[in-house]
Amino acid sequence: MTKKRKRQDDFQKVKLKVGKKKPKLENATATNFRTKTIHLPEQLKEDRILPTNNRKLNIKDLLSQMHHYNPGVKQSALLGLKDLLSQYPFIIDAHLSNILSEVTAVFTDKDANVRLAAVQLLQFLAPKIRAEQISPFFPLVSAHLSSAMTHITEGIQEDSLKVLDILLEQYPALITGRSSILLKNFVELISHQQLSKGLVNRDRSQSWMLSVNPNRRLTSQQWRLKVLVRLGKFLQALADGSSRLRESEGLQEHKENPHATSNSIFINWKELANDQQHIQVYENGGSQPNVSSQFRLRYLIGGLGNVDESLTSSESLKGFIEIIIPLLIECWIEAVPPQFATSVGNGIEREPLQVMQQVLNIISLLWKLSKQHDETHKLESWLRKNYLDDFKHHFMSNFPYTLKEITKHRRKDTNKSVKYCTILFNNVDHLLLNLTLSDIMVSLANASTLQKDSNWIEMIRKFVTETLEDGSKLNSKQLNRLLGVSWRLMQIQSNREATETLIKAVYTLYQQRGLILPVRTLLLKFFSKIYQKEELRSYRLRNRSRVLSRWLAGLPLQLSNLGSRNPELSTQLIDIIHTAAARANKELLKSLQATALQIYDPQEGTMVVLPTESQQRLVQLVYFLPSLHADLLSQLSRCCIMGRLSASLAVTLIGILHMRSSFSGWKHSLKDWLLSDMDYLSFLFSTLAGFSKEELTWLQSLRGVPHVIQTQLSPVLLYLTDLDQFLHHWEIAEAVCHSLLVISSRRQSFDVLQNAISKHLVGLTVVPDSTVGCVFGVLCKLLDHTCAVSESLLPFLASCCYSLLYFLLTLEKGEAEHLKKRDKLWGVCVSILALVPGVLKLMLQSLRVNRVGPEELHVVGQMLRLLLQHAPLRTQMLNNAVLVQQIIKNITTLKSGSVQEQWLTDLHYCFSVYITGHPQGPNALSAVY
Amino acid sequence: MAAPMEVAVCTDTAAQLWSCIVWELHSGANLLTYRGGQAGPRGLALLNGEYLLAAQLGKNYISAWEVQRKDQLQQKIMCPGPVTCLTTAPNGLYVVAGIAESIYLWEVSTGNLLVILSRHYQDVSCLQFTGDSSYFLSGGKDCLVLAWSLCSVLQMDPSRIVAPRHVWSRHTLPITDLHCGFGGPLARVATASLDQTVKLWELSSGEMLLSVLFDVGIMAVTMDLAEYHMFCGGTDGSIFQVDLCSWPGQRERSFPPDQDSGKIFRGHRNQVTCLSVSMDGSVLLSGSHDETVRLWDVPSKQCIRTVTHKGPVTNATIMLAPISMLSSDFRPSLPLPHFNKHLLGAEHGDELRRGGLTLRLGLHQQGSELSYQERLEQLQAVLSDSVEKNVLGGQDRLQLHVTELEDEVCNLRKINRDLFDFSTRVITTTRRAK
Repeated sequence: MTKKRKRQDDFQKVKLKVGKKKPKLENATATNFRTKTIHLPEQLKEDRILPTNNRKLNIKDLLSQMHHYNPGVKQSALLGLKDLLSQYPFIIDAHLSNILSEVTAVFTDKDANVRLAAVQLLQFLAPKIRAEQISPFFPLVSAHLSSAMTHITEGIQEDSLKVLDILLEQYPALITGRSSILLKNFVELISHQQLSKGLVNRDRSQSWMLSVNPNRRLTSQQWRLKVLVRLGKFLQALADGSSRLRESEGLQEHKENPHATSNSIFINWKELANDQQHIQVYENGGSQPNVSSQFRLRYLIGGLGNVDESLTSSESLKGFIEIIIPLLIECWIEAVPPQFATSVGNGIEREPLQVMQQVLNIISLLWKLSKQHDETHKLESWLRKNYLDDFKHHFMSNFPYTLKEITKHRRKDTNKSVKYCTILFNNVDHLLLNLTLSDIMVSLANASTLQKDSNWIEMIRKFVTETLEDGSKLNSKQLNRLLGVSWRLMQIQSNREATETLIKAVYTLYQQRGLILPVRTLLLKFFSKIYQKEELRSYRLRNRSRVLSRWLAGLPLQLSNLGSRNPELSTQLIDIIHTAAARANKELLKSLQATALQIYDPQEGTMVVLPTESQQRLVQLVYFLPSLHADLLSQLSRCCIMGRLSASLAVTLIGILHMRSSFSGWKHSLKDWLLSDMDYLSFLFSTLAGFSKEELTWLQSLRGVPHVIQTQLSPVLLYLTDLDQFLHHWEIAEAVCHSLLVISSRRQSFDVLQNAISKHLVGLTVVPDSTVGCVFGVLCKLLDHTCAVSESLLPFLASCCYSLLYFLLTLEKGEAEHLKKRDKLWGVCVSILALVPGVLKLMLQSLRVNRVGPEELHVVGQMLRLLLQHAPLRTQMLNNAVLVQQIIKNITTLKSGSVQEQWLTDLHYCFSVYITGHPQGPNALSAVY
Repeated sequence: MAAPMEVAVCTDTAAQLWSCIVWELHSGANLLTYRGGQAGPRGLALLNGEYLLAAQLGKNYISAWEVQRKDQLQQKIMCPGPVTCLTTAPNGLYVVAGIAESIYLWEVSTGNLLVILSRHYQDVSCLQFTGDSSYFLSGGKDCLVLAWSLCSVLQMDPSRIVAPRHVWSRHTLPITDLHCGFGGPLARVATASLDQTVKLWELSSGEMLLSVLFDVGIMAVTMDLAEYHMFCGGTDGSIFQVDLCSWPGQRERSFPPDQDSGKIFRGHRNQVTCLSVSMDGSVLLSGSHDETVRLWDVPSKQCIRTVTHKGPVTNATIMLAPISMLSSDFRPSLPLPHFNKHLLGAEHGDELRRGGLTLRLGLHQQGSELSYQERLEQLQAVLSDSVEKNVLGGQDRLQLHVTELEDEVCNLRKINRDLFDFSTRVITTTRRAK
């Protein structure tokens, strides 16, 4: 019984009643406690050796966390790595190999967040690592990339494209080096190989089919679009790279290309003469080895032997084209189903349009690549044979339709709002699409097949002409295509009417105002290309296009109207004008002559407002001007002296005019250099004077300004120029002097100079010091035994000389600016006194010391002493000994009242040493007394 | 005579007593003078060592003297216009002259005018052949330098427009002078221009090697035979020496000399018009507008001799004296034919009068008669013949050939094996011996 009871106790049924609380079980777990996670955001220990990030983790910790099983840890490690590397960029260099091997390994991680972090890290790293730094590790990077691209998980495939984007942007050369694998990956991304037996070996092109994967997040069209965009980018990089390579290789094909020389040396003579530069023309001439060789015995990419042959050979390119073009056509058909295309009135959606655009873009890039490998046009004819019909059928049948629909579509949009339209079309460009298509098609045609293709070529031609004529809103990319197509059309159909209409259409576009710079540049380049092509034909065959010559003749006016607004454009214009002028193009020279006065205007002409390089070209252009008349020369001289043209350029200009003048050539050479001697000489003189007539008359009214030096003994006042102006003037005067020196009949040129001086300078009361100095310098150099200084000039020279000497002696130490002039001015003063005895005599005669104040007396005394001490002057001074003695006597009498000063003692001493002490001196003196 | 004698040949515009003077380079002794006309700049050329040609300044004829008969003008070659420059092929077979903007090429043996090239847009200013006569270069006032391949120029095909091998268009003002270095088609060419630069080009690739910018326009340029130095004569009368091979290290070791005098020959007072270097590169001859010809010692840059002329000097060149210049009883191997004024093959009266068979002398003409295209075709025909015979024609012979070659391979393998065994034996035994 007890047993039974006990049992009942044990198995007593708990009765649960509605409304009452359920009794607690004995073994129930208490859940009323709270847990808290222990969070270790940072380590306690400070690492002394390696720099750490915010969480005090160093690079080793972070990299080792990359192998953690938990995706969260991995992600945070990647973020931490980014943090660390942005703080301490030098770690990148030290640990590049580890970082890259770990980071690239997670491209194929299963977790999307980890991949995202890895991509972000790569995005951050890529700009900081130079291409040559990463190149040893690039095989690894690209291996991980291609394993990600071929991964069976769609997410990884999608993310791999982002990685590719980054690499393409930063390392185009490296990534295109692996094109063979990557291109295959691209194909596999959007298609699969058909393995039905009948087709495997027969035809490669049929064995690939577009694949449709319903599991993707995206529609397969979107996915294809994504892949195609990347493929387009990749091919673009490939095309750019190989064209760059080609350009550096040498230029047998394009002889006219002036920029293709890569390794020429440019030397400036001045630096060479100062031993600052050394020429080593002959690469292998010396004992030093050539270190910049590209040769590698073995590339670092162990197993991949076929790196080089990716798309660089025409065979492999052909293979790729065979695979990809059927796929692209399939894409196209999917985007624009034939039955849909024929129904007019429906606009093409944005997405298919994008697909179409990418398809065409890829094809045109392939064409471009094929052209680079195609020396013999073999590939071109192959392409034509295989694909012309397909293209005509699929693309060209819709060509006008496409246009129509799109215009319709656009009109619909413009009805709604303009803004909406621009948003919709910001990256879908129907015009570009059409142009790309025309580009592809046109490149398939050539002159010999013109008859067969005439119908669709006419279509394209009409389209191109129309687009050009209303092409105000073209951007540079579209225009580039457009001009490419027009160029090709011109080449295909080279009869005159056809080209003339095209050129005319381009010209109407060119004449529009407000074109942006790249567009304008492209148009200019296009025209200059046509011009050059036309020039290449021999004389008799040249049939000039009228539009072209009108364009050419308009250039100088454009240049002068452009002013300083756009120096780059001006440079291009000048280049073209220069080329045409050098080739003696009649129309251009005529219009250049007409606008020369505007271009070389000293106030705001093109020449003075542009930067130095353009100025130089313009200066050189002077050589080609058919006639240099007096007005132009006076403007040029103003340009020279106003200082807007640097001294060296001014010297160049003077040299060029010398070459144009009759003094440089051979006596019997052609007389058609229309530069009269009179104009040339007056140019030289006005450049020498350095100041225009107006400026000089303005100077005459200046009195009592600190810049004007006045003396009591000389009627000529000296105007002090700035040091810059002075030096500029001096340098130019030297060039002028040289030009005068080389004129064969010295006497005549000297007389001309004298006349000019007496006509324009004598009679002035205020004269600039630089002018006086330069005139003196030129006179001294020109003077030889055949010439004589006219009497009328002497008083002016003498008073100028005195003024100059007075200025030099009163110069104070403080005036650093003028101190630099001293040597030069002193030199010319002394040499003119030595060479022309009359000047010295007149100057001494004018020293009527009784009329001057005590300060100037002091100066006169000092001057006499210096002149006495100067050795080359000594004989001249001896001849004038009487005068000198008289002056000294006067000074002494004037000074007798006060204490005898040091300078007077010095003067007496010098006089006694140099004049009285001289063997002839006393005799001469005694003879006089 | 141990070494060949070098002579200086000079002309000036005055030409009062003579138009051309020849003097011995080192002693300065006058050897010969030629009379008649004033030679124009870059218009003096020695043809085949037998004739001296001088383009007349501003006149439309070229005077020709037999080298040994100094007082008598042999012929006046009439040209369609004033001759601006003239040169002859070193092999003596062609004469090239620049007349206005065209280049005229005559064949010396017949006197026929073979071709007129008009690719320049303005007057041609200078012409020069390469040392092996395979190319010639022309520079013009249109800032272009053109390099022509003689062979392609001579291929007579009226339908084809003759294109130059290279067009060098990087000068920006008229070309004043050019000099072609040694080495035939591999030569380097120096061009001088008024744009104050001298540029050095490679003829084979057409690339520019060097560009030197000066302070003045350059009127004349030359290089020594070894191409160590380039000499550039400026409009201001100085002659600049550009060292083409210099190392910084070398400079540092030597005591720095006076920088200015180290690189410049000073002395001329007006623009330098012509420069020439002797064979050994030790002496430089320069002519100038200041009516002097100066002889310089290159290492020390001093003026050794000054010869005063009566007018601006147009030509001054150093050349090896041909035998005919020294012995008076020398006769030219061929008489100079009448140079034709009209293009060969053009319809003109004097062409008909000549008639008869044209027989061309010299090996070079034989080559030029058969164009390269034809030769290539011949060669290709021969090659394809043999290929057809070997590959397609005789299958059995091919078999035979293959077996033969296989035997050969076996044989070679055996020899290789033997060699290997032998060497291993030798090496191992020597080891053991040690």
